[in-house]
Amino acid sequence: MLNIIVTLPFLSSLLIALIYLGNTNAKRFVLYTSLGIGSLVIITTLSLMSLYDMMQGAATIHTKLFEWIHLGDFQIEVAFMADRLSIIMISFITFIGTLIHIYAAGYMKDDAGYGKFFSYFNLFMGSMLLLVLADNPIMMFVGWELVGLSSYLLIGFYHQDAANIKAANKAFMLNRVGDFGFIMGLSILFISLEGHGFSFDAIKANIALIDYQTLTLIGLLLFVGAMGKSAQIPLYVWLPDAMAGPTPVSALIHAATMVTAGVYMVARFSFLYIQIPDIGLFIASIGAFSALFAAIIASYQSDIKKILAYSTMSQLGYMFIAVGLESYSSGIFHVFTHAFFKALLFMGAGAVIIAMHHEQNIFKMGALRGELKLTYITMFIATLAISGIPPFAGFFSKDAILVTAFASGHYAIWTIGTLTAGLTAFYMFRMLFSVFHARKSKAQRVLHPLPKCMTYPLIILAIGSTFAGFVGVNGAYGGENFIAHFLQLPDISVHLSHSSEYMLALLNVSLALFGMTLAYKLYGHRAKEAQPDTLFKKVIINKFYIDALYETLFMKPLLSLSRFIATTVDMKIFDGFLNYSILFYRVLAGQFIRLQNGKVRAYALYFLLGVSAMSLFLIYKLGVNL
Amino acid sequence: MILTLLPALPFLSILLGAFVLMLLSHKKSISLESFNVTALFFLTLALFFELITFGLHSGDYLYPSIFKNFFIFDEFAAIFDVMFLIGTIFTLLVNSDYLKSRNYFSGEYFALLLFSLFGMLMLSHAHELLTAFIALEIASLSVYALVGYHKSKKVSSEAMMKYMVLGSLAGVFFILGTALIYALVGSTTLESIALYLHNAEEKDITLLVVGGSFLMVTILFKIGAVPFHSWVVDVYHGAPYPITMYMASTFKIAIFAIALRLYLVDFATINSFWLEMLQIVTILTLIGGSFLAISQTLVKRMLAGSSIVHSGYLLIGLSSIGLGSDIAAPAIMFYLIAYFLSAVGSFGILSFIASQSRRQMSYDDFKGFANRRPYMALMMTIFMLSLAGFPSTIGFLGKFYIFSAAIESGQILLAGLGIFTAFVSVYYYFKLIAMMYFYESQTDKQKSFPLNVSTLSIALIALLVIWGGIGTSLLSFIPGADGFIDLAKQAINSL
Repeated sequence: MLNIIVTLPFLSSLLIALIYLGNTNAKRFVLYTSLGIGSLVIITTLSLMSLYDMMQGAATIHTKLFEWIHLGDFQIEVAFMADRLSIIMISFITFIGTLIHIYAAGYMKDDAGYGKFFSYFNLFMGSMLLLVLADNPIMMFVGWELVGLSSYLLIGFYHQDAANIKAANKAFMLNRVGDFGFIMGLSILFISLEGHGFSFDAIKANIALIDYQTLTLIGLLLFVGAMGKSAQIPLYVWLPDAMAGPTPVSALIHAATMVTAGVYMVARFSFLYIQIPDIGLFIASIGAFSALFAAIIASYQSDIKKILAYSTMSQLGYMFIAVGLESYSSGIFHVFTHAFFKALLFMGAGAVIIAMHHEQNIFKMGALRGELKLTYITMFIATLAISGIPPFAGFFSKDAILVTAFASGHYAIWTIGTLTAGLTAFYMFRMLFSVFHARKSKAQRVLHPLPKCMTYPLIILAIGSTFAGFVGVNGAYGGENFIAHFLQLPDISVHLSHSSEYMLALLNVSLALFGMTLAYKLYGHRAKEAQPDTLFKKVIINKFYIDALYETLFMKPLLSLSRFIATTVDMKIFDGFLNYSILFYRVLAGQFIRLQNGKVRAYALYFLLGVSAMSLFLIYKLGVNL
Repeated sequence: MILTLLPALPFLSILLGAFVLMLLSHKKSISLESFNVTALFFLTLALFFELITFGLHSGDYLYPSIFKNFFIFDEFAAIFDVMFLIGTIFTLLVNSDYLKSRNYFSGEYFALLLFSLFGMLMLSHAHELLTAFIALEIASLSVYALVGYHKSKKVSSEAMMKYMVLGSLAGVFFILGTALIYALVGSTTLESIALYLHNAEEKDITLLVVGGSFLMVTILFKIGAVPFHSWVVDVYHGAPYPITMYMASTFKIAIFAIALRLYLVDFATINSFWLEMLQIVTILTLIGGSFLAISQTLVKRMLAGSSIVHSGYLLIGLSSIGLGSDIAAPAIMFYLIAYFLSAVGSFGILSFIASQSRRQMSYDDFKGFANRRPYMALMMTIFMLSLAGFPSTIGFLGKFYIFSAAIESGQILLAGLGIFTAFVSVYYYFKLIAMMYFYESQTDKQKSFPLNVSTLSIALIALLVIWGGIGTSLLSFIPGADGFIDLAKQAINSL
């Protein structure tokens, strides 16, 4: 079953690619769509079936596709494992992924590269499923890299524009930086285990073999990988630029796949991270800072997709707070709820963008609420969910994280988290009100009609955004925290009286409501773009000049070094050396070939000279006395 | 009755085929294609018999009542037989296009080819020196005639004359060596030579060592080792493409069949006597061959020069045998196959081009080849990569095994030199790739890929080259080319 789940998207991707390459100009809308979406519907069904089995108490599934490398005692298998953690992951990845695929069929309908797009899209899904279902870290790394590759392909999908290629490259390279940390971590882990097997189960069983310092290093390096994939400080700068890709790609990257990989990885290695609480605290602090930092930037952006991108980074920060403080199941819970409302937000934004003929600036929209009623309602629900207003999904998951932070005594992290929660409500409603409520900027406009397959998924996701939170309702609200019990992760146990929990929740909700009201006051009627008139605003609108800083710190020195190597070291030293040695060899060969004069008598002479030399050698060797 | 005939059936089919073709060849009404098909039929028949009797070979002598112990049937000979047969089949298939484009081919061409093949089959089974000599001469005489087959072309006749004069000179040494050995041992069967060596003391075997060395001269001449190499470039250049291909691949394999049998088993105890000699010849061959290859402008001559270098690699394997490397003999057999595939492929593409035009293909003629014939250029690239020993091709594995054998036997210097000449070879092989891809062509018209027997065979060989390179350990569920190494080891052990 797992074999099918992982291989099917790869196969359909390959098939679509082959058909597409056969004739790139042919319009085969129905074929590509049915292949691309059909395969996903199948794997979604299979995933949900496995989830159901596991809810009935089925054990962890292990399957093996084939043996990849076998050297002596060492072997790497292409094997898959579905435990409770990965089954939850693949269930919502496939479910939401399928909805995004259906949506994309409408969004990309008129694109010339429709087949190519679906091939990449399926590849992306396959890579993510490989990452999640991997039985050993090496297969996980393969998936990890493939996710990076397919995101690169998709971000640069509109390759006619050089800026998009630049964005794709940026994403790829920053991910490489993270991947470097990740592979280093894996290598050290592998060496430290001294050949006691390298599947997750084996690592878990032998984790005691590794001393504390090494574990700390491994944990840190693995987290560097997570920083890259999940866009945390300082490796986050690719995420906003990744908006260059088509909107369904953004939805897929931000909701179901890619960015959640880092959180998943930390949860997967939870048995390792509980040994090293210092690194956990570091992860949580990075998460908290990323959450606040992204929220501040988001409050001054005017591009609808960039606002959502920063909000993703901010929400990922929450997830890292959770997993860093060893509350793995609330981290995964937030991944789960976030997938619904973030997919919904992106798809709604995509609908708005299509309707507005590819306008992305929220201040050039306004008053769309009447015309795009369905989009408006669903996006409103998603915004409520992300702002943490009960009873929508985001409330329960975010509340669980903040309660953990408070109860475990990390008040600084808790304060930042709570502040960010208020800020989240502000910038999200700022976006919503500017797009749907504020006065329209242009008097005349004709909206592009939206196909049905772009609106129906919104409804399904809106239902999800409303109710997904109920799987994790904790004791304070009369629930049993089903998801945490199901996941069976080594969570920290925190104790907080119900009344304190209510107080915390009340604080969050009132902050969120305050942010919402403020946003309505400022942007509800007349939305104006923020101008960089004060130093403070200027710094924030320019995203704290981090991109410029990276450019001067890393890119410029690297470029000049490369230029030096290309023009001097390579051209003069290496090529020069090679050219001279070839010249030397050719001169020698020119002398040698003069022997090859075409005359048989000369050839016979060489022959006999050879025989004579041999004879002399034999006389010497055999010691014959002449 | 039929059972006793069974082991001889491959021989008989080839011989019968040769006679049939010769008798038919005076009839001008029969087309070349029919001859080709007939020859292929007999070859396939022989291959079929060879394969069904493959497991039956157990070191018996063939009809000892008639031939005494002149011919042996063992797995070693069988595996070489299969290689010759497949090699000849590929030679015919790849060149079926070329034959049609030249008017000087006739039925005798196929008859001669089968006669020469018959000689090779005898050679791999020969267990007696004079028999081996006769087999070698049967094979060589047919090849002499084939080299000069283009009678009206001066360079072809000249090549034949050179080859025959020098080849006779080399043959003399084989007879001389045999005579010396006979003088000492009193017999020329390999069995009695081995027995004599087993019992003799060191001072008694001087004549045997000298005789063995003279045998080696002939072998070194046939594979084109320096300083017996000077005929190679001229003869390869003068011969028609199919014959060049046949000499470079199948004929070379045949020479190694007898060389391995002689030096692996019968002279095994005295290998150390000519070790230094062999090493010096190897060094000369590697360097001299690459000198010759690097300074050619015609691609055919470059391939001729490079075939000398490849003989050098095989000689590394031969001297490793003398130093007791277990992997060396299978490595030589693997290398022969690797070289065979790459050489047949690259000569095949040259002959395909030659069948379209009458030009001598120089490096310059390949400019922009990739634009004109992208698939052909791709396959040529694969063959060049394989000849250069680039990873993911079969040529890489061949070199890998040879160098492992050299290092295993402690010949670090030879292995280093081998790697160095492999670097040099990148120059003249990749020059062709660069010509095809990075230079503008004079006529930029893209031609379609012609689907016929020749091109499909070349494509099949290209696939085999890649399969042999990657199908080994990377994808463990695909049977790999390294399975052949095990087969070769088994065959060597059967000696």
